[in-house]
Amino acid sequence: MSSLAQADAPAAAPARRVAAKPPRDFDRPRFLRVFVGLFFVVMFAPIALVVLFSFNASRSLQNFDGFSLRWYERFFESETLRSSLLASIEIALITMVVATALGTLLAYGLVRARVRWSGAMNVLMLVPLVTPEIVAGTSALLLFTQVGLELSLTTIVLGHITFSISYVTVVVRARLAALDADVEHAAMDLGATRWKTFALITLPALWPAILAAGLLVFALSFDDFVLSFFTTGESPQPLPVRIWAAIRFGVTPTINAIGTFMLAISAVTIGLAIALPRLLGRRESGLGVLLGREGA
Amino acid sequence: MSENRFAAGFLVPGGLWLLLLFVVPLGILLAISFGTTDDLGNALYGWYPENYERVFDSIYIEVLARSVGYALATVALCALVGYPVAYYIAVFGGRWKNVLIALVVLPFFVNYLVRTYAWIAMLGDEGLVNGILGDDIQFLNTPWAVIGGLTYGYMAFMILPVYAALDRMDPALREAGKDLYGGPWQTFRNVTLPHTRQGLLAGTVLVFLPAVGDFVAAQLLGGPDEYMVGNLIQQQFLAADNWPFGAALTVVMMTFLLIWMVLYLRSAAREAREVAA
Repeated sequence: MSSLAQADAPAAAPARRVAAKPPRDFDRPRFLRVFVGLFFVVMFAPIALVVLFSFNASRSLQNFDGFSLRWYERFFESETLRSSLLASIEIALITMVVATALGTLLAYGLVRARVRWSGAMNVLMLVPLVTPEIVAGTSALLLFTQVGLELSLTTIVLGHITFSISYVTVVVRARLAALDADVEHAAMDLGATRWKTFALITLPALWPAILAAGLLVFALSFDDFVLSFFTTGESPQPLPVRIWAAIRFGVTPTINAIGTFMLAISAVTIGLAIALPRLLGRRESGLGVLLGREGA
Repeated sequence: MSENRFAAGFLVPGGLWLLLLFVVPLGILLAISFGTTDDLGNALYGWYPENYERVFDSIYIEVLARSVGYALATVALCALVGYPVAYYIAVFGGRWKNVLIALVVLPFFVNYLVRTYAWIAMLGDEGLVNGILGDDIQFLNTPWAVIGGLTYGYMAFMILPVYAALDRMDPALREAGKDLYGGPWQTFRNVTLPHTRQGLLAGTVLVFLPAVGDFVAAQLLGGPDEYMVGNLIQQQFLAADNWPFGAALTVVMMTFLLIWMVLYLRSAAREAREVAA
């Protein structure tokens, strides 16, 4: 049925008359609408199931036997799981701060500097984005054991920062490229030093992007499994590593509660990433910033 | 101090970090892949190309081929499902565009393990679907369960670049296609599709790369018969303790993916130039 919808998709094409005016409702091909509706149902059904059954009074995954918080109690009563949750938050916070700082500086250098090795730098920045996580995980594990660094939260953080820098750089760079360099030149004409110009002119203009990128990194780091899996020590282990161990023993409702809780944290983070830039009194939305568009 | 040198200084901290914690580890990986292990299973450097000969043994080559096959099927499914969705949002989204795109991205921020686990809860022997049907259909431990899990996991990587390309496209182009008496299908094939080829290419690579290296879907939704190269690598590193062989497997996989990475990076560079121009 997917191929049918694809073949029919172009029927929608001629419906549009004026670029600025959204097509009227009756212009929309109905089957395409149904297809998109179904798509969202399939995307969200499993997640809804996890959330719903995290409140189930019984162990069953087939029958909902009344509302209960017992699986959340089980989650928070466990010493191991609590320390894992705290470890995950700690890792994500440190990763966010360090990677955002490094990534922002790198973005500025890539946009404003014209040196021989900027091209190579650009590739070096992009490659981590397309490197499968398992390659990153195994090579990080090898590095840490070769230099004799004991696997712990520190090694996880080091790995996470390495793979978060590029996300920050890509988001901040898109914003910076849209920024008129003449504003910076004007500040310098008025006597500001380069550092002052960077701190007082460039950084404030980049804030929405920096903030959105930072929160994105927090969410990615908090959810990361593969990198953490290869670089984690014995204890405490981040939450996703614990989930992995638990899932392999089969389906238990506590995982529903943990999953729902993690979902809530991610949702809040991403909500902030989208809303905060707007709350700062700017016209653009955080989503536009993350997607590299201006004034969305 | 020239503006150029001032800005170049900003490249140093991030550049050094990536050099030391990304490039150097890849170098170690390459070195270890030619190494061996001592009696205790510790990795030792050396010159043992046997690791690579072993990778090309029939059992391992089969797993590699399976990984590529699953990843290609995933790309195809993502494109077939994702393109119409991206098209609908870009063309008919109106003021709901941002909300709809946010909805596409949202599942991506639910932990990948939890999302995969959710499918076990849905389709497992004691899962919801079998409960509703009162039946005992085996969905899991099949190749399609793994491919479906991968498709579900990486869908957003296809939709986002395709959407961006469609959104950038001037609607007047489609109009022109129609004015020139092109039917819907012709307009799509000759106007819309060529204009979104780069988005489609980006989506293909962004889905293909992580899908080839994935080991979560195969382990949770499949079984040993569906294992992918990621499962092998993970076993060598964390269970079998044969790091040199695991490293050799990783290097072979990486070499194969390099072609795709170069394709993507070139397309990304071209796009950056076009945006800048």
